[in-house]
Amino acid sequence: MPEIHVQNLVKQFGEQRALDDVSFTVAEGELFTLLGPSGCGKSTTLMSIAGFQHPEAGRIAVGSETFFDAAGRVAVPAEQRNLGIVFQSYAVWPHMTVFENLAFPLKVRKLRKGAIRTRVLEVLELVEMTPYEKRYPHQLSGGQQQRVALARALVYSPSVLLLDEPFSNLDAKLRERARAWVKELQHRLGLTTIFVTHDQDEALSMSDRVAVMSAGEVQQIATPEEVYRRPANRFVAEFVGRVNLIQGVAARTAGGVVVDIAGSPLRLTVDTPNGASGPVTVAIRPEAVTLTPFEDTTVNGTNTWEADVGTVAFLGDHYEYEVSAGQIHLTVQSSRLVPGDRIRVHIPPGACAVVE
Amino acid sequence: MTTTPYELTYPRPRRSLIPAWALQWATWLLVVTVIVGPFIPLVYASIRDRPLYEAGGVLTLQPYREIFGDSAFWHAWGNTLVFAALTTVIAVIGGALVAILCTRTDLAGRKAFGRMILLPILLPSLGMVLGWIVVWGPGGYLTSMFSDRLHLPTLAIDTIPGMALVEASRLLPIAFLTCQAALSRADSSLEDAARSAGARPLRVLFNITIPMLRPALLNAATLIFTLSIAALGIPLLLGTSNNIIFVSSYLYNTWTNASTPDPGSVSAGAVMMLVVATLLLLLRNRLLGAEARFVSVGGKSGRQALLRLRRWRWPLAGLLFTYLVFTTLVPVLGLATMSFVVVLTPLVPPWELLTSSHWNVLWEDDAFRRSIQNSAIIAVVGAVATTAFVALATLVAHRSGFRFRRTLPFLMLYPRATPGIIIGIGFFWAYLLTGAFGDAMRDSIWGIMLAFCVRNLPLAYIVMYPTLARIGEELDRAGRAAGAGWWRTSRTIVLPLLKPAIFASFILLFVEIINDYDPAVFLVKPGTEVMGATMLAQFIQGTVGPVSALAMVQVLITVVVLAIGAKIFKIGVAGGEHGA
Repeated sequence: MPEIHVQNLVKQFGEQRALDDVSFTVAEGELFTLLGPSGCGKSTTLMSIAGFQHPEAGRIAVGSETFFDAAGRVAVPAEQRNLGIVFQSYAVWPHMTVFENLAFPLKVRKLRKGAIRTRVLEVLELVEMTPYEKRYPHQLSGGQQQRVALARALVYSPSVLLLDEPFSNLDAKLRERARAWVKELQHRLGLTTIFVTHDQDEALSMSDRVAVMSAGEVQQIATPEEVYRRPANRFVAEFVGRVNLIQGVAARTAGGVVVDIAGSPLRLTVDTPNGASGPVTVAIRPEAVTLTPFEDTTVNGTNTWEADVGTVAFLGDHYEYEVSAGQIHLTVQSSRLVPGDRIRVHIPPGACAVVE
Repeated sequence: MTTTPYELTYPRPRRSLIPAWALQWATWLLVVTVIVGPFIPLVYASIRDRPLYEAGGVLTLQPYREIFGDSAFWHAWGNTLVFAALTTVIAVIGGALVAILCTRTDLAGRKAFGRMILLPILLPSLGMVLGWIVVWGPGGYLTSMFSDRLHLPTLAIDTIPGMALVEASRLLPIAFLTCQAALSRADSSLEDAARSAGARPLRVLFNITIPMLRPALLNAATLIFTLSIAALGIPLLLGTSNNIIFVSSYLYNTWTNASTPDPGSVSAGAVMMLVVATLLLLLRNRLLGAEARFVSVGGKSGRQALLRLRRWRWPLAGLLFTYLVFTTLVPVLGLATMSFVVVLTPLVPPWELLTSSHWNVLWEDDAFRRSIQNSAIIAVVGAVATTAFVALATLVAHRSGFRFRRTLPFLMLYPRATPGIIIGIGFFWAYLLTGAFGDAMRDSIWGIMLAFCVRNLPLAYIVMYPTLARIGEELDRAGRAAGAGWWRTSRTIVLPLLKPAIFASFILLFVEIINDYDPAVFLVKPGTEVMGATMLAQFIQGTVGPVSALAMVQVLITVVVLAIGAKIFKIGVAGGEHGA
């Protein structure tokens, strides 16, 4: 299984920069996700790798093979790249049966009939679609069509697998099952995979690493945990999960980095690996904050503030609090109900990420 | 699982023998050659002092001076513009009204009317003009009956307003289809919003619905104006008796009666007409915006609250029915009767004058028999060839990375704006200049076929493009990703999915080609006659009976083929004419 190298891609659509110096490397067998809002350039990146878009600058290589090099005027046609792609619409050919859909790439590769049959049946078994061999796409459910699309992308042993929002047309229940299933299959087959999505849950739960994109630029490349816990900037913090943002001025002290919160007498001690000074924005996840009753004085010390409870909403598996400590408003997720209108909030220094 | 996919490696797909770019270039060059090709010698012929085949000519503006100095030419332009303007007004207002009645009201039988209203544009245009003459012309059956026996006034179709009425009845379906398409894709919640704001249905119609139609009306008006400027059969057959000359008939007469053959002034006049038609096409493109022209799906159709006509429901339906009877059914019946009687006159009941001699002429006279044979061959071969070629060109235009693909839609729509008579003159000169190839084309029916195919090629594109646009591009990308090249993907994935449109295009082209005539009038020779050209020539010489029989042959072929087409593929009778 080869690595995928994407270097310095630039693509212009009219006035708009769709890709602005996009670079990343996907390791062998890795599931690498491009995550971002629509129009961020993730699909353009994927389609450039697939060979359906040609950037103005940059280089794309899979293993030792250069697919695209703007400087060297190399652009291998899409059909010569030997990549497996699952499209958002699945693009299962409606005039061919499931079997014919899977057989087509093998026919193009001039395999003999017997060999085609063996291989198609083998891959159909892999995606658990054997009984549907003779069906036409319109006779299949969305989830089944997706499996056929995946099987068709795998049947010719492509060098890498590209998934373009493959779950966005499934309903919520099915989507969760499909995610787990695709992840398991990818892992079992050891496929180097690039996955495009705008859904942060999907990205976090499936990926080995995530590249968060915005406005044609890569904002951060890291593991899902790092992206969530240590967002590189404000965009990443806000796009991946929910977040409280607190602005202030940071200064280094004996106890670590302390932030003087703007418009408030309170201070926030921040545990940040790279240190920080000057004006900063600190990101705090709602579930990282703990709430305790006002009477409970055992919780005290660093980053423990008294706060007024604004609203409490019950959301099934947790309660959502809107609290204010002076001028600071926080959204907090708490697994238990804390009595009283006045409570204590504690923000662990390790849960504070400096994003600006 | 015994094997995982990665224990297997397959050979890489081989590149196809003919590279995609070669096929795409060939297609593009052929489109440019057949569409732009004929106009180059036409322009050249218009700036020479003698025909192109005579050696030693010099470049001169003399032909232009000659034709611009002829007051009859300007008079013909005046007539043409008045005629085209009248035609446009009648056809657009009529078409819009019928469209609103059929899509936004509870008119009795509106679905059936929506289909029947399309017939005039599909029936042979020359044949229908003959039908009008037989029934409504000076001395026509109903004219005599109404004026001589009942002493009622009748419309004089041999005047400019009368001619405009005849042409408008043929072109009204274009306005109807354009408005119908606009109405059915318009978001009906806009109308619902006005209703809930307290507006009565009729007020909604005038304040919301009709203003929304404005782009469609402008679009239809420009197209109808362009098409009616090019009308040839009407001025030749209806205008001659009152000496009403249009530009097209002026050029035709000048050409056929010229003292020196093939005068340059005709080419100069044709170039001027071409310029006008091109300007109109550009205007239309501007009006439409590049893409909106083909928006075919979208909007929410369905649960639209229909305007209730109440007591007008049936009277309006009756009125529409009467219109259809008088403009479509009666001319066809007139033609049919005419083809079976010695003379058609209200003074003697037709059954006392029955004869089969007109129909016998069709088989006995060489020119008539050959016309039918030639037309049939040309229509079948031409429709197949054009459909195949346009399918390929449409794929290059919209599903390839070919460098000049964006030029193709304009090129393929261009002949639609070009008067048929000019395409005819263009090919005439083109064949004269291309040596042995040109000679072979001139001496066979294939020369006429090519001119007909080019003339009608836009219809194939208009039918195919909306269907292609609905076939998701990911389907062919999936084919490419699977390892198939451009041509293989097109052949095995896109074209099979395009089949219904390909079939509809074939039916429409067959009907249009078999009924076409004006590009042929300068190209026919003894031996290469086609039905329309024969009808025109024979009628001008006064042969009415056999011409009516020949027109009936056209009508019958048209109706049968359309019925078969509609039956097999439920083509909405008119395919996609509305985008035209």
